[in-house]
Amino acid sequence: MRLLPLLLSLLILSCEKLETVFIEEDLLERPPSKRCSDCHAQIFEEWKKSRHFHAWTSEQFRVESENYTKTKCLSCHAPHQVDPYKKPTLRVEFKEDGVSCVACHFKEETRAMHGPLKVWSPPHPSKQDFSYTKSNFCAGCHQETYKEWKLTKVEKTCQSCHMPSLGKRDLIQKFPFELFHLAKPRTSHEFPSLKAKPEDIKVELKGNKLILTNVGVPHNLPTADQGNPKLYVVAELEFEDGRRRTVRKLLSAQSKTALRYKEPKEIRLPKGNIVQAQVKIYRKLAWKKERELIKEVTLQTPSP
Amino acid sequence: MGFKKVLLLLTAVAGLSFSADKIVLKKPPASLDKYYPPASNKFEFLSNMHAMSTARTGITVNINEGNWEKALYWAKELKKIYVETSKMVPEWKDYFKPQLADNLIKAVESKNVDKVIEASRKFLQTCAKCHQDNELAVKLTYRFPSFEKIKIEDPVEFMEYETGKYMKAMTDSMKAMKIYLMQGEGDKAQEAGLNFVERARQLRTMCAKCHTNKLSEEVIVGKDYEEALAKLEELLSAEKPNKDDIFKTLGSITVSCTKCHNVHIMPAMVREAFGK
Repeated sequence: MRLLPLLLSLLILSCEKLETVFIEEDLLERPPSKRCSDCHAQIFEEWKKSRHFHAWTSEQFRVESENYTKTKCLSCHAPHQVDPYKKPTLRVEFKEDGVSCVACHFKEETRAMHGPLKVWSPPHPSKQDFSYTKSNFCAGCHQETYKEWKLTKVEKTCQSCHMPSLGKRDLIQKFPFELFHLAKPRTSHEFPSLKAKPEDIKVELKGNKLILTNVGVPHNLPTADQGNPKLYVVAELEFEDGRRRTVRKLLSAQSKTALRYKEPKEIRLPKGNIVQAQVKIYRKLAWKKERELIKEVTLQTPSP
Repeated sequence: MGFKKVLLLLTAVAGLSFSADKIVLKKPPASLDKYYPPASNKFEFLSNMHAMSTARTGITVNINEGNWEKALYWAKELKKIYVETSKMVPEWKDYFKPQLADNLIKAVESKNVDKVIEASRKFLQTCAKCHQDNELAVKLTYRFPSFEKIKIEDPVEFMEYETGKYMKAMTDSMKAMKIYLMQGEGDKAQEAGLNFVERARQLRTMCAKCHTNKLSEEVIVGKDYEEALAKLEELLSAEKPNKDDIFKTLGSITVSCTKCHNVHIMPAMVREAFGK
């Protein structure tokens, strides 16, 4: 009786086609992301909170693409296959999935799911692929931001900030298969559009110039390829003669007025001796109506 | 010889479209909207025009080679698309005369070049009539962007304006700058001028709505434009702004205005007049 498990194990191990026994064929036919959630429930839930999930169905995109008739915009919003540097082609199926699971992870060339981890995954072939850890993976669609990042020569990758580590976690949540897997180092699939911290923007008052420098975000601030996120700078000025003036500036990705990394940007202020400037900086994401405060600072002449 | 006659005739009829002393633009019927963006990105109506044009050339090419069978295939193809097209825009159905397409088929069947020329001439006149009445208006309506839907956020007021209103705010600030300079009010000129510079910089966001590859943006609001705006900013910030230098710099900025207007303003005006 004790020999039975051993015999069974031997039988299984001797089977040359073992790899294909547990394959779920539909997974290799570019299924919708919901299908992936059968096993990868947590990753699916994270992705549903991301802009990648909303890439196609976002009302903003529908309007800006003139009801999906601006064809050159479409492929990045529903890519067939994401590869380093390459602008993707438009996916035919399940466009509403936006930048879907298979768009990033399924490769036609190998008919396997690619990712940064080495995994044992009987339902589909898997291949460890380190390109997932590099910034150029994102460059096919986020071309402008990638170019900006490259100019900064900063080591941190896109993934370092926009796919933050979640520590070790289970990749699958499907009983009883989850019991056969060890937790692996996982990164977030929410792809957060991070908000700059107050210390990321240095603000100085030098005479009649307000000088803003992006010292913390290794790409333009704000950044986008086709969207138009904005920074709003509002400076309440107090002059020596008691005059008060408000100066407003709009910095945006598309007007090429965004703050480049470590490159001071001068904002000219009205003539006169400024004794104090109260500066507020807000941001507005491309798909949002609301402005969010990033930084508020009061400066005196000479700048402290 | 026969082929040459056919070719000449076809060219002459096509060329009739715009030989007129007066061009009247009629607003295209609303039923045409569904064949163009934003309702459709397949350009169904235009595709049919191309298909008919190809079929027409198919007749000519094959008659020239003495291949009457293939010419007949294209003649039948031409009729099929012609009839299909006649049903696409009900308001234009009277432009179409399917009987003349049948006559063209019969002429090709007869293998008589003179009959083909005569049937073609009559048939193509129906195309020419519709083109003469509508082609220009259709092109201006559907092949240029709709500016009235584009909104730009004003960098001075932080409010979203429609294109026309934005252009007015921008040129008003430029004109105010000029007036203050001419009146010798430097501080006011600086304020108005800096507002103009900001608004002129933000214009680029409008281009980006359609010009995704950035190259056309560079041609119109590229390096020269940016440098001129930076120079204007510099000149305005001088203790005593130099009017002549400012006006000269303004001249190089307006080159970009002209370039863009040369491409976009006339179709935009036509669209606006049509209320499209």
